[in-house]
Amino acid sequence: MPQHVMGVEGVYMPLFAIWLAPLVGAIIIWAFGPSLRSWGGPIGCAAIAVSFLATLASWNDATRQTVAGATTLVGAHQSLVTWAKGFNVGLLWDPLSLTWVLIITGIGFLIHFYSMGYMAGDKGYARFFAYMNFFVFAMLTLVLSDNFVGLLIGWGLVGLASFFLIGFWYERPSAVAAATKAFVMNVVGDVGILFAIFIIVAVVGSISYADAFAGAAAHKFSPSLLYLACLMLFVGCAAKSAQVPLHSWLPDAMEGPTPVSALIHAATMVTAGVYLIARCWPLWQGSADARELVGIIGGVTALLGAILGVAQWDIKRILAYSTMSQIGYMIMAVGVGAYDAGVLHFFTHAWFKAQLFLTAGLIIHALNNEQDVRLMGGLRTRQPFAFWSMTIATLSICGVPPLAGFFSKDAVVYDTLLRGHPELYAVGVLTAGITAYYMFRMIFITFFGEYRGDVDPSNLGIRHPEFAGTPAVAEHAHEGFDEHEHHTPVWLMVAPVAVLWIGTIFAGFLNVGGDSSPWHKLLEPVFGAAISYPEGTAPVSELISSAIVLAVVILGVAIAYVRYGNAGALRDAISRLREETVWMPAILVHLFYFDLAIDALLVRPSRALGFLFGQLVDPLVIDGTVREARVSAVWLGHLFRSFQTGLVRAYALTIVFGAAAFIVYYAIVAVH
Amino acid sequence: MQVAVANYIALSAIIFMIGVGGVVARRNPLIMLMGIELMWNAANLAFIAYAKAYMSNAGHVFAFLVITVAAAEAAIGLAIIVIVFRRAENVDVDDVAVLKG
Repeated sequence: MPQHVMGVEGVYMPLFAIWLAPLVGAIIIWAFGPSLRSWGGPIGCAAIAVSFLATLASWNDATRQTVAGATTLVGAHQSLVTWAKGFNVGLLWDPLSLTWVLIITGIGFLIHFYSMGYMAGDKGYARFFAYMNFFVFAMLTLVLSDNFVGLLIGWGLVGLASFFLIGFWYERPSAVAAATKAFVMNVVGDVGILFAIFIIVAVVGSISYADAFAGAAAHKFSPSLLYLACLMLFVGCAAKSAQVPLHSWLPDAMEGPTPVSALIHAATMVTAGVYLIARCWPLWQGSADARELVGIIGGVTALLGAILGVAQWDIKRILAYSTMSQIGYMIMAVGVGAYDAGVLHFFTHAWFKAQLFLTAGLIIHALNNEQDVRLMGGLRTRQPFAFWSMTIATLSICGVPPLAGFFSKDAVVYDTLLRGHPELYAVGVLTAGITAYYMFRMIFITFFGEYRGDVDPSNLGIRHPEFAGTPAVAEHAHEGFDEHEHHTPVWLMVAPVAVLWIGTIFAGFLNVGGDSSPWHKLLEPVFGAAISYPEGTAPVSELISSAIVLAVVILGVAIAYVRYGNAGALRDAISRLREETVWMPAILVHLFYFDLAIDALLVRPSRALGFLFGQLVDPLVIDGTVREARVSAVWLGHLFRSFQTGLVRAYALTIVFGAAAFIVYYAIVAVH
Repeated sequence: MQVAVANYIALSAIIFMIGVGGVVARRNPLIMLMGIELMWNAANLAFIAYAKAYMSNAGHVFAFLVITVAAAEAAIGLAIIVIVFRRAENVDVDDVAVLKG
């Protein structure tokens, strides 16, 4: 695969506008934040809007195909800097980056818009928009880069931005802890990618995608080295996309403001791992072992996330585990080689998950920052818009036809079967059922029955409010209960959610039509033959598979209805919820002890090592060396100072003796 | 009668060592300058002797170069000495040690 040299000559302004508009917005708001105050929001929105419009304007260039010699090239390329041979840095604009940029800037704009309502009155209002714009810039850097180093830079900046945003309410210790946890886990991923870059540069001598993929196609990598490179890249994916065992930062990251959860933890950042694998598919095509591993980890994550979602009481944590589970689906898809299905699921998921989070934000905002579903209930009549919005998005995530989630999830699940992974198919179907169960559990508890907000939490078995996800400090005090009584203009928050309905309902139709669907046509130039449907390898047809999935989903909904939705359950909801809270299995409450295991296996040994170095190695070895070097320097200075007398004749004598020594030396050499 | 090159070189070495002795042993800068002058001349003698022995003009060229440089050096040296004398009312090179870095 040769380097893109066509498409765009010179400086391609729209691409720079897409890339840099959010950065400009962030800098302006950062620099003038205190004096901008209420203008921070509109400026932040405008920056993303510019980026989005530039994306639409350059759509054709992303999908343009050019024939150069024997190969067909797709998209456009903008070179930026050449450091050395093989170290060209540039921007790549092709259908895959287009897909991501559309979501980042499009849904990102809606979330910015929503934030103007949600964050109104917060004392960090301007700072919030600076961080959000900076995050979008970092994400665009990641997606638009044409080389691994640019990717890593974007990857790291995204981690930094998420650190800012998760820890936005820095007065809360829990938010700071969550931000730190997310950052540290993400850095683990950064290091993984760094090692992958070392391997790639060592083998092909270049950091650009094109050279690396050409090297993989030409079998320059030995199988074990390619496997290692993929493995290292996957460490990055696992950290960023919250795959087992690096997943535990994602639920904690719900400490950030709700729009942050929608932007970072649903629509963009956590799907960067999917992007990385989809972008580097030629590497994965070369290593079947690596694909196997990715598929298995994706399946495990999908299932584990769903199981943990069952046990959550915090509305945002339920959504966080569903995110983890859905990303497991995407990773599973790209792991079995169904790259287009994985990217499609990213695309539809961005819509309905953003809608879920933003709707949850509507509820949390109206309930004065209450996040525990046990203290909700009966919101169907109080917030009808939130109810319908949440229901539509939930039906979409459960995969009910003809909503968006149905098409993408079915594509993922069926593709695992088509590509010969029946065990992953089983996991996919099972996870779909559990997803339907816990999502409808949330719907029933939140929206049906009686309102429980005025019930004493201890009656519901809530003993430790700080562990139940209730904010320890109210972020911004609101008066009143009903959303119509709020001082913020509610339409600012309702309008973006209403726009998201469109994608949540219709986005999946892009995939109708198999090999001739718009989606397939868009991505085929990127993935080539890798995504063509293999013929007749599945034991059941796609229609039967869809029916199986749907049946399992209906079963999940039915169980949720029996447990939480029917008249009996709704009547004595309080006692049932208390019972469930008390009898929740410890293994679920403690999230399969993953944090405990990481603490025991990694954190404690690291601390011990750090203590060893801090107490022994550093003071003795390092400090000792430095001290000795200082003493030696002083001694040498004393020695040479005595030579510097200023007596000219002494100098002359020294020179004479020196010259004499030379003469004697050469005389001896000449004699021998 | 033909004189061997080695004799010229020996004479040159002797003159050079006298010059070195003058520079190292005396405190009067004028005497030191004269010692340096002797060393230059010893070098010139060696150049000319070799030039004659090997029938090469390079030695003559270098000798002229040395004469020029020696003249310049004497001029600068004398100027420095005059200035030092104006300041210190005597000329002892060891007193110039106050200029050490």
